[in-house]
Amino acid sequence: MKEIDARGLACPAPVLQAKDAIEAQQLNAVRVVVDNAAAQQNVQRFLESQGYEITLDANIDGYIIVGRCNAAVRAEPQVAPVTEAAQVKIMVMITTDRFGYGDDALGLKLMVNFIRTLNEMGPDLWRLVLVNNGVKLTVDGSEVLPELKQLQDTGLHILVCGTCLTHFNLLEQKQVGETTNMLDIVTAMQLADKVINV
Amino acid sequence: MCDLEIPTDEHVIVGMDSPDDAGVYQIAEDQAIVQTVDFFTPIVDDPYQFGQIAAANALSDIYAMGAVPKTAMNLVGFPLKQMDISLLRQIIQGGLDKLKEADVVLVGGHSVEDNELKYGLSVTGFVHPDRVLTKKNIRVGDRLVLTKPLGTGVINTAIKGGVAPADVAERVTRQMVALNRDAAEVMNQYSVHACTDITGFGLLGHLAEMVVGSGCGLRLNADTIPILPEAIEYAAMGMLPAGAFKNKEFRQSMVEFSSSLNPLIQDLLFDPQTSGGLLICLERAAAEQLIDKLNQKGIDPAAIIGEVVPAPPEIIRVQ
Repeated sequence: MKEIDARGLACPAPVLQAKDAIEAQQLNAVRVVVDNAAAQQNVQRFLESQGYEITLDANIDGYIIVGRCNAAVRAEPQVAPVTEAAQVKIMVMITTDRFGYGDDALGLKLMVNFIRTLNEMGPDLWRLVLVNNGVKLTVDGSEVLPELKQLQDTGLHILVCGTCLTHFNLLEQKQVGETTNMLDIVTAMQLADKVINV
Repeated sequence: MCDLEIPTDEHVIVGMDSPDDAGVYQIAEDQAIVQTVDFFTPIVDDPYQFGQIAAANALSDIYAMGAVPKTAMNLVGFPLKQMDISLLRQIIQGGLDKLKEADVVLVGGHSVEDNELKYGLSVTGFVHPDRVLTKKNIRVGDRLVLTKPLGTGVINTAIKGGVAPADVAERVTRQMVALNRDAAEVMNQYSVHACTDITGFGLLGHLAEMVVGSGCGLRLNADTIPILPEAIEYAAMGMLPAGAFKNKEFRQSMVEFSSSLNPLIQDLLFDPQTSGGLLICLERAAAEQLIDKLNQKGIDPAAIIGEVVPAPPEIIRVQ
């Protein structure tokens, strides 16, 4: 694999080095090391614009961007089947990691059960929004991570409140869903046919 | 410089306590002087054009205060041992031609020997004390008007990287040497609440300065924000300058992007601008008239890009 060490270089030099390398010869794979976030984003964008698939790694030396050209064509994400009747858009908003009030241990058990059963809504389930303590369901150690990931793989948009993750200092631990903001949440509420608040 | 004691007096209208595009000092009941200084290292290869851009950029701070520039002084750092003095002559000629266009007289200057070429100007203008425009004083319901398209930062980086063709370079240079004078003249016919010019912090960085401490929020409509056509292409090629990412990191917590907004556009709203347009904040009806007048004057890219909203405070939402 062609290696480019662009550490110590400012934009646009890292991109230009990558550009020169892939223009000089057809490269099936290229590995670029940079030491700042701006160069990382620019190199990644450049390689993507040239049709490379990117894997990104970071260590104490900097960011390692690996671009591969001949990667197998990714399977198309599974599209939820369109039902015959006009599809209803259901948004489920989870504001806590416990289902209901009272006994906490019971509440946690019920929440796990709730998430596991959510897929019964079928394609009508359109958005899953997690706010406040609800964001804790998306981080390392959550019992329902596999279920949430599975829901996401079927095409469900899982939105996780960024302010909440920051508040709990969990931004780095999030394992599933897109980080979102209040504007997205409000827009989703407006577009949904039904909002279910848990 | 937070820990330094800055001297002041009662005639200071705009000073170090609320930094703005320029300082303003009242000298008579109906008159205040407006002072600014700006200089930088070359951003284009052509010395004459560099002089023009530096002058247009320095003059812009005076226009952004609602003032009329009158006098200027050159500031020069020049590597005498490495460069031919004729280069300096061309730079200063470029600056002079812009000053002439702006009806501003050159009254002096100072040069030092420097390892790196630098050029800029100190400009002085005048304004009625009641007509001073600062970054503060935005009001709910106001509209935001931008007079030049964004994208000079990413395009200049692409030029430096040798990936932008000559005609693109020419077009972006034409925009950077364009004075904000005509836009300012039209603006001064209206009751304007706040104004600044878009430079190194990018559109969102300068909007953030406007919204901090205002108690209001902003809502922008990305579709209406003028952006140079090649800017998105070069951003996709990884040509955004490091400054764009720094600006984003610094102000990210104040900005909420709609998730459907193209990430390249999100980044371009932080692209640092050289000699950028004026950002004008005024009532809706006045803003609509202002756009018509600007278009009549040939300032076609001018557009209403957003509005001041009551909540959430100090947050800029971009849709």
